[in-house]
Amino acid sequence: MKKLLTAAAVAGAAVLGMAGQASADAHSCGSMTMAEMNWASAELMANVDKIILEEGYGCEVELVAGATMPTFTSMNEKGEPDVAAELWINAVREPLFKAMDEGRLMSAVEGPITQLGEGWWVPPHTAEKHPEIVNDVNALLARPDLFPHPEDPSKGAFVGCPAGWGCQLANANLFRAFDMEAKGWILVDPGSAAGLDGSMAKAAERGENWLGYYWSPTAMIGKYSMVPVDMGEWGGPENWDGCIVKSEQECANPKPSSWTHSEVHTVVTSEFAGRGGAAVDYLKKRIFPGPIMNSMLVYMADEQAGGADAAIEFLLKHEDLWSQWVSADAAAKIKKSL
Amino acid sequence: MDFFSEFPEMGRQDLRDFKKAIDASFREFSRAYGDALEAFFEPLLWFLVWLEKLLTDAPWIVVIIVVAALAWLGSRSWKLVAGTIASFLVIGYLGMWEDTMATLAIISVATLLCIALGIPLGILMARSNRVQSAITPVLDVMQTIPSFVYLIPVVMLLGIGKVPGLIAVCIYAIPPIVRLTNLGIRLVDKEVLEAADAFGADYKQRLFGVQIPLALPNIFAGVNQTIMMSLAMVVIASMIGVKGLGLPVLRAISNQYLALGLLNGLAIVTLAIIFDRVSQEYGRRLQAHRQGADHG
Repeated sequence: MKKLLTAAAVAGAAVLGMAGQASADAHSCGSMTMAEMNWASAELMANVDKIILEEGYGCEVELVAGATMPTFTSMNEKGEPDVAAELWINAVREPLFKAMDEGRLMSAVEGPITQLGEGWWVPPHTAEKHPEIVNDVNALLARPDLFPHPEDPSKGAFVGCPAGWGCQLANANLFRAFDMEAKGWILVDPGSAAGLDGSMAKAAERGENWLGYYWSPTAMIGKYSMVPVDMGEWGGPENWDGCIVKSEQECANPKPSSWTHSEVHTVVTSEFAGRGGAAVDYLKKRIFPGPIMNSMLVYMADEQAGGADAAIEFLLKHEDLWSQWVSADAAAKIKKSL
Repeated sequence: MDFFSEFPEMGRQDLRDFKKAIDASFREFSRAYGDALEAFFEPLLWFLVWLEKLLTDAPWIVVIIVVAALAWLGSRSWKLVAGTIASFLVIGYLGMWEDTMATLAIISVATLLCIALGIPLGILMARSNRVQSAITPVLDVMQTIPSFVYLIPVVMLLGIGKVPGLIAVCIYAIPPIVRLTNLGIRLVDKEVLEAADAFGADYKQRLFGVQIPLALPNIFAGVNQTIMMSLAMVVIASMIGVKGLGLPVLRAISNQYLALGLLNGLAIVTLAIIFDRVSQEYGRRLQAHRQGADHG
């Protein structure tokens, strides 16, 4: 019994000691929370950031699950989490810029991944058989018969954005702008990311035609070599920001437009920007080239790797890339930890 | 020592290959039989589309009258009929009419399908212990497996929309009716059955004249649970593109629209309560009638 008590005491002391150590280390950067968004590229980025910041800079990083709207709202209203590594700002542009003007949030870097974008896509076999529809949105919209909706084969199915996503409003308004209902189209709500992915994967696997919304860089686009549709002329920022991304009531006269240029920022709270020090400097430098991100995403899908596994794979494979983001000292520490 | 502290797990690479092999074989299966399966379910899809069109295109007054008449036929209770009419009026007034009709269509079909499949299955289970021990674990799996696990293969095979949604709902909602039909029949008094045998009842007479009537309270509890569980699946079904009250709920969840979520959620609850009360009253009346006949 006595032995047991001693052992417990020793263990307790050890834990306390470790905690003390950790908090001492943490002073160099502090403990921080980071949003791990619920899609693969953001999972990878968050986990890469976590390893680099923890091993290289001695921060304590806690990843919290997130999604565009909830994470932005929480950062804007409550200042938590401290960092959103991959925030697609199209859906939150106005409140985000307001929060930046008012000094609550800051952008650490614009475009943490290069070559990205949203839009409408078709599978490669469709593009091959009907090249005219890929280059001309009007030719595409004239052919609803190529994409029959299973629930009403006389109409064409256009798979929009899952309920509640920021892009849902944009797709619904573009659907009206292109007058697609009159042209014989139905806007299908896939309900969830799983629904959207599933419907695209099914069509791509079986050689069926499919038209829908998606974005790059993603494993889905890379894996099935999806082809983006040319959506025509850019309709101007007033049309897009003042109408297309608003609710239907606020957008009486949407005009056709190509998809807005996607801006993705790594957003941090101003409070964290003040105390983050080296961590913020790192975030400012950390930019993933699109092709490398795509290859990592296909790796994640093929190997069914989670963000944490993929982050280690990335750090092992692309040392030449990430070593430019960190100091030589930190790079050595990170390398040792792998 | 290592053997005890570390679980002797399959190697990472082997595990990955194992998972990949499952995926690949499913993909093969989907490529080979997907179209045939879709064709098989086509009539069901047409029926679902037809019913939804019927409900959404019909004048709302007609729909309310029909629903009220069904409630009256089921329950013979003016209170229930009045409550039904009032709740449909409120639902329509709050702008949820079309979504409610879409949900009503798929839930009615799902419930009918579950009952039509579930009761015979329950009877089969009650007849033979071997069938029972084969089906029970399947029902356990259906009830406990997280729905997204089977949504992925269902979507890969059948795409998104009504039919996969209906299948997802039925997988979750069918077990109670099967279990309770089985239980109800098994609980029928042995002596009553002996009496039936003594009167020379054949299997059919024994089943429909004695066992099922005496099992009715349990069967109706099963029907009731099936209805409740299929309504609970409305939101999940919407995640694979089923139109109805689930979509606004999903929208509300992602955007923190409290009121939108609450209203649509309450509309689902209202449908559940109406379905439940009417079916329960109907079951009670069925049994009261039988009791009267027995004593008379």
